[in-house]
Amino acid sequence: MLRFIVRRLTRALVTLVVFQTALFLLIQALPGDYASTIMGPPAYKRGLRALLGLDAPVWQQYLAWMGGFFTGDLGNSFQAPTVRVTDILLAQSPRTLLLFLPAVLLGFGLGIWLGKRIAWHRGGRLELGSSLTGIAFYASFPPWLVFLLVNVFAIQLGWFPPENLINANRWFGVPVSVNSVVERMLVTVMIDAGLFAGLFWLTRRAAAPRRMRWLGSFALAMLTAGVWLASGRAIQALDILHHLALPLGTLILLSFGETMLLMRVAMIEFLGDDHVLMARAKGLPDSAVRDRHVARLALLPVLARLTLQLPLVLIGSFVIERLFLWRGVGQALFTAADYQDIPVLMGILSVVGIIMLLAHLLLDVLNAWLDPRLRDATFRVSTRV
Amino acid sequence: MSHTATQSGVPSVVPDTASAPTRWQGQLGRWRETWRVFVRSPLGVLGLVLIGLFALMSISHPILMATIWDRTTYHPWVGFDYDAIAHPTLPSPKHLLGTDALGRDVFSQLLYATGPSFGLGLVAGLVAVATATTIGVVSAYYGGMIDALLMGLADAFILMPPQIVLLVVGLLFDMDWPQLALIYGVFAGLGGLAVIMRSHALSIKVKPYIEAARVAGGSSGYIIRTHFLPNMIPLMLLNMMFTVAGSVLTEALLSFFGRTDIRLSWGTMIWFIKETFRLSPTGEQWHAILPPGLAIMLFCGAFYMVGRALDDVLNPRLRRR
Repeated sequence: MLRFIVRRLTRALVTLVVFQTALFLLIQALPGDYASTIMGPPAYKRGLRALLGLDAPVWQQYLAWMGGFFTGDLGNSFQAPTVRVTDILLAQSPRTLLLFLPAVLLGFGLGIWLGKRIAWHRGGRLELGSSLTGIAFYASFPPWLVFLLVNVFAIQLGWFPPENLINANRWFGVPVSVNSVVERMLVTVMIDAGLFAGLFWLTRRAAAPRRMRWLGSFALAMLTAGVWLASGRAIQALDILHHLALPLGTLILLSFGETMLLMRVAMIEFLGDDHVLMARAKGLPDSAVRDRHVARLALLPVLARLTLQLPLVLIGSFVIERLFLWRGVGQALFTAADYQDIPVLMGILSVVGIIMLLAHLLLDVLNAWLDPRLRDATFRVSTRV
Repeated sequence: MSHTATQSGVPSVVPDTASAPTRWQGQLGRWRETWRVFVRSPLGVLGLVLIGLFALMSISHPILMATIWDRTTYHPWVGFDYDAIAHPTLPSPKHLLGTDALGRDVFSQLLYATGPSFGLGLVAGLVAVATATTIGVVSAYYGGMIDALLMGLADAFILMPPQIVLLVVGLLFDMDWPQLALIYGVFAGLGGLAVIMRSHALSIKVKPYIEAARVAGGSSGYIIRTHFLPNMIPLMLLNMMFTVAGSVLTEALLSFFGRTDIRLSWGTMIWFIKETFRLSPTGEQWHAILPPGLAIMLFCGAFYMVGRALDDVLNPRLRRR
């Protein structure tokens, strides 16, 4: 197992170098550089080029690019040349993660939950109806969906605010920054998710697991609420949550469909297996057979395919950030595009690439741990789903 | 094979090539069987029906323009309806979906925009699948160093999903739909698709008839053409469906933000409403905003449904017992 991890890590590093090189070639392939878009006398342009390092020979720029990338320096933004791209991304990413992480967890969770249910009752209207709904949401045009949801929930019903991250009135005189509250919320989300997963794992052999899980989840919720109330920032956190509801909801609706269909496909593959028949013969309740025996196996290939969906969810979150004016990395992407700010754009592409690489790595290691046949092969798709 | 009695009375076995099915007849038979399984899934049939409807829409536009619609009123981008007092107008018998803020017929625009969507989707799909299959087959067939190199490249391109690359490049440059389709296809084909195609090609490579073909003296090109490619077509079709859906969605997003140079597509229609919301609030233009959004959803959804149904067909374990 360890040998596999080491081999996989070295491959990941090589991939990273190739990826960065490809990004650099992409920048060079774009016609014209920043200085050509600025209006001014040629001497000014020359000075600008020298300042931004655009007049150095290509190989020098390449070395600077790669060196900077591996030391964490992604260059300076063209919009404000004293600001480092890394700083911009670090400042914006908690907000994006606060939207993206729960969307991934809840969206995939909902998809898996629905998928295993509709696969269990094959045929019939539930399967067709759920599939159609899932596909309708998955294939729907995000701005159109946002338009609909905002119109219904924000304007007509008035339950949620139609845009923005915070309501400035509720932050009047608060001594902490928005980012710090967002970061703390992010930490809360991650800790809670971990504790929730731990709860599920610990109660797997309990006598009445469902009751214990409900009690445990309730206790966890109370604990979280208590901690936040004690910190005195509950109102601000609630404000952010209030603004998070619609963007998060839209993102979940956009992403659950594919997971649901994949889960259904994976479940059906295992429905006829002998061990399922055995479990039924033993007298296990239907839900136990479905969850503990079939769904557990079906999760493997679904997890393997999750990496292919991550970019879609990511791009969905960028677009949703722009539409809801949720000031995160997505919003920064569009602003940078407005200003032709290439370092920020390439920086975001690099970061997206790194996130994808980490996700692939994690899922490969997870897959190899669960299915030992994969540890010897280098490139193999585990189960054909 | 027929047995004919020779003069010596010993039956000789002569291959009767006239009655044996040709290779393509066998292939067609397999495809017919695939079709029969395909039509059993309601999703697949619905997807095909929708695609047929959209094809009908796209060919009906030039027909309508040539026959019942007069150019001044119904032209998608230079038409103007002089009869109404203020534009946009709500749906009426004369304008089935009303008019937009510049007085152009929305229904005509909707029909016209189907063309670029099909073109974009098909070009992107074909380029992606062609690239991925080439890389996959070459990588699987030759193996060794070439395999390692190509898969290393594919590994790096997995990190650059076509949607994100197209979003970034499209935000910087306004392009028309052929260029968009090309970029999408290239980035889609070089990444994860190539790995999938290679896995499938590997599963073909280990089959005994490949070895038999080599022993019989088949060249590499012959083997690839005759044995690899026909077996990869179903998977190519499947992935093409998903690529079409993804490319049309991404183009619609770029057009929505106004960053494309496309004359008319569903995304640009929605963008136009966004631009003209001052002339009349977006809520009042629901008749103009609902159809293109619905069209995008149904178009991409249809291709996706066909893809999913093909997936059911190609994976024999999924068929209803």
